[in-house]
Amino acid sequence: MKKECIAMLLAGGQGSRLYVLTGEMAKPAVPFGGKYRIIDFPLSNCTNSGIDTVGVLTQYRPLELNSYIGSGQPWDLDGSTGGVHILPPYMGSKGGTWYKGTANAIYQNIGFIDLYDPDYVVILSGDHIYKMDYSAMVARHKEANAACTISVMEVPWAEASRFGIMSVNEEDMITEFAEKPKEPKSNLASMGIYVFSWKTLRQYLTDDEADPNSENDFGKNVIPAMLGNGERMAAYRFAGYWKDVGTLESLWDANMDMLSPESGLDLHDESWPIYARSVNAPPTFLGEESKVTHSAFNRGSVLDGEVENSVLSSNVHVGKGARVSYSVLLPNTVVEDGAVVEYAILGEGCHIGAGCRVGGTPESSAPAPWGLTVLAPHCEVEPGRQVRPGIMLDRNGEEVSK
Amino acid sequence: MNGLHGIIFSHEKRNDLRELGEIRSAASIPFGGRYRAVDFALSNLVNAGVTDVGVVLHGRYQSMLDHLGTGKAWDLSRKRGGLRVLPPFNYQQDWGVMPFRGKIEALAGVRTYLDTIRQDYVAMMDGDLVVNLPMAEIYEGHIKSGADITVVCGNDSFATEDGSYFEIDSDGRITEVLYNLHRPRGYRGLEVYILSTELLKELVDECYAKDQYSWRRDVLRAKKNELNLRSYIWKGFAAQIRSVQGYYDRSMQLLDPAIRAELFTPARPIRAKGADKTSTYVGSEGRCVNSLVAEGCRIEGTVENSILFPGVVVEAGAEIHNCVLFKETVVRKDAHLSYIIADKDVEILAGRTLMGHATYPIVLAKGSKV
Repeated sequence: MKKECIAMLLAGGQGSRLYVLTGEMAKPAVPFGGKYRIIDFPLSNCTNSGIDTVGVLTQYRPLELNSYIGSGQPWDLDGSTGGVHILPPYMGSKGGTWYKGTANAIYQNIGFIDLYDPDYVVILSGDHIYKMDYSAMVARHKEANAACTISVMEVPWAEASRFGIMSVNEEDMITEFAEKPKEPKSNLASMGIYVFSWKTLRQYLTDDEADPNSENDFGKNVIPAMLGNGERMAAYRFAGYWKDVGTLESLWDANMDMLSPESGLDLHDESWPIYARSVNAPPTFLGEESKVTHSAFNRGSVLDGEVENSVLSSNVHVGKGARVSYSVLLPNTVVEDGAVVEYAILGEGCHIGAGCRVGGTPESSAPAPWGLTVLAPHCEVEPGRQVRPGIMLDRNGEEVSK
Repeated sequence: MNGLHGIIFSHEKRNDLRELGEIRSAASIPFGGRYRAVDFALSNLVNAGVTDVGVVLHGRYQSMLDHLGTGKAWDLSRKRGGLRVLPPFNYQQDWGVMPFRGKIEALAGVRTYLDTIRQDYVAMMDGDLVVNLPMAEIYEGHIKSGADITVVCGNDSFATEDGSYFEIDSDGRITEVLYNLHRPRGYRGLEVYILSTELLKELVDECYAKDQYSWRRDVLRAKKNELNLRSYIWKGFAAQIRSVQGYYDRSMQLLDPAIRAELFTPARPIRAKGADKTSTYVGSEGRCVNSLVAEGCRIEGTVENSILFPGVVVEAGAEIHNCVLFKETVVRKDAHLSYIIADKDVEILAGRTLMGHATYPIVLAKGSKV
């Protein structure tokens, strides 16, 4: 079945900087925004952009992700001529290996891509929160007659040295690429989203695989090789909300951003819906004595306490006299009566006993260093326990270090 | 094949649903913040392991068709069996304009469908019943008791528009079938019946041959001595949505945690079509208490003792008390509403005040702008 364009979504990473949150699931499966999982963003972008064939490359702890994606029906990706396909590493007659790097993961699935004989392949990653029309990027790729188009956004000059930085000419064609440069020549950062002409990429992947010194990575190997050979490389400028949620702080920030439309993350906009596999539960009930302000919640919750500046997933319970502020509560968490949760991320199914105190404000911890308090999924905190700011607990309630 | 088949009737009967019923049948009335009435009957059946369900439509059924779709939301989109929508095209009379006369007539109209039923038993339910019945247990009881027909009753005699009531002896056998009562007595019929597929077909054929159309008059009442009619008494919440007042009172009961716990028991989840909406947001100045709130709402004003369906917007300074607001209702700045049922896509402009009363909630028709 010939397709003009298909997408390959890199979802195999562990997301080790999310520590305990990704102990049992891959990063793209981490819940976000009270309703979503991170992978809903690229999947919904695909379907909204008219891309109906998506390969999802999984490797690390794929169970949660596999069952979440299922048939792809929530994203309309269950069509008969394409749809979403989970692509784990596999054995061949000459053996097989794990995906060694991003480029190797695509290399190992050349057979899958060839099934669709696409003109263009969009490479996406599963750890970004953003809304983007990939069809506009593919149009830019065609217009520029490029071999590769990289989506870029302007970042503050001061932060430019943390990104892969692109220098461009007057036609926005990429002339130079520098990974985390000390002295950036430009403030256009790569967002890790690529469009390739498949024939060209196929050749580069094959060559890259043959090079024993390569790390088989797009950013480190394939892109520099293409630039070095003088391939036409276009920049596609993106303006809008985009966030890499690879760290606990950025995951927390992005959740807080959805409370403030000024941040640019407007999920109420129905012209570009973000789809999710939703949980079946009754509407949320807000009790007589509840006080919920500047917060978001989803289905199935019962809120009897105080909730401020927080994002609550489905089936959360906040007991009477409890207070949750500046926190992100993942599905099925319970905060018992009188407990206080501040500046924390509580993993799925956490249980905070009555009268506990979890986390604290930056002011409260001074002069000791402050940080977010993070609890692993299914962590039980016994009644009355204090969990200081910056502490991370595993599922047995024991402290773990970052 | 051993097992239970479901038939849900979504027909128009005499009711007092005013504007709520003008554009839809009672079965597709939104209820409880994210459901349609028929979701309850469908879920009750599916939770008892029922795989095949026929839905008999009548009258204004566009809204029902939209809602049911392929039956996917209830896992009833199957290669074999699953949801079977039975529109009224094969009735012998012009049902678009005629009032519906009875279940028997409806079943006679889909007689060929009855022959395709694979299961030995049939559960008949009404689409306007909001309840969470343990149908598996009722079915098991039906087989054990040797009843010809099991009649499910509520443990009360609430006055219901066009309700049926039953008198029952100490053995649980039905002794009298009553309707058109000014002062209801006996047990309120929930219009849920279990009987064998064979018996159902016999009854339909016999009645049809005699030009009889009423299930309760020509079957239950006429044959109460001849057939073994046994009751199953359900002691929990059971609402029949047949009037605006009933709709309002029953909706407000959901603010009681005990009733929610029973109606939404995780053991028998009520399934509904999902809405692709984001989380609900309550603003810094927003206040929302003692209310049931679905996803995708934005609340900047005050909401109290109310039920909000997905996508409701309450702007700053607006006050909502004791209201039921359907999908996408928009309440602009400083508007005040109490005892209002707003149908889908209603907009209340800034500063307006609308007050109903607990004994007369005001209905705002779909799409209206105040």
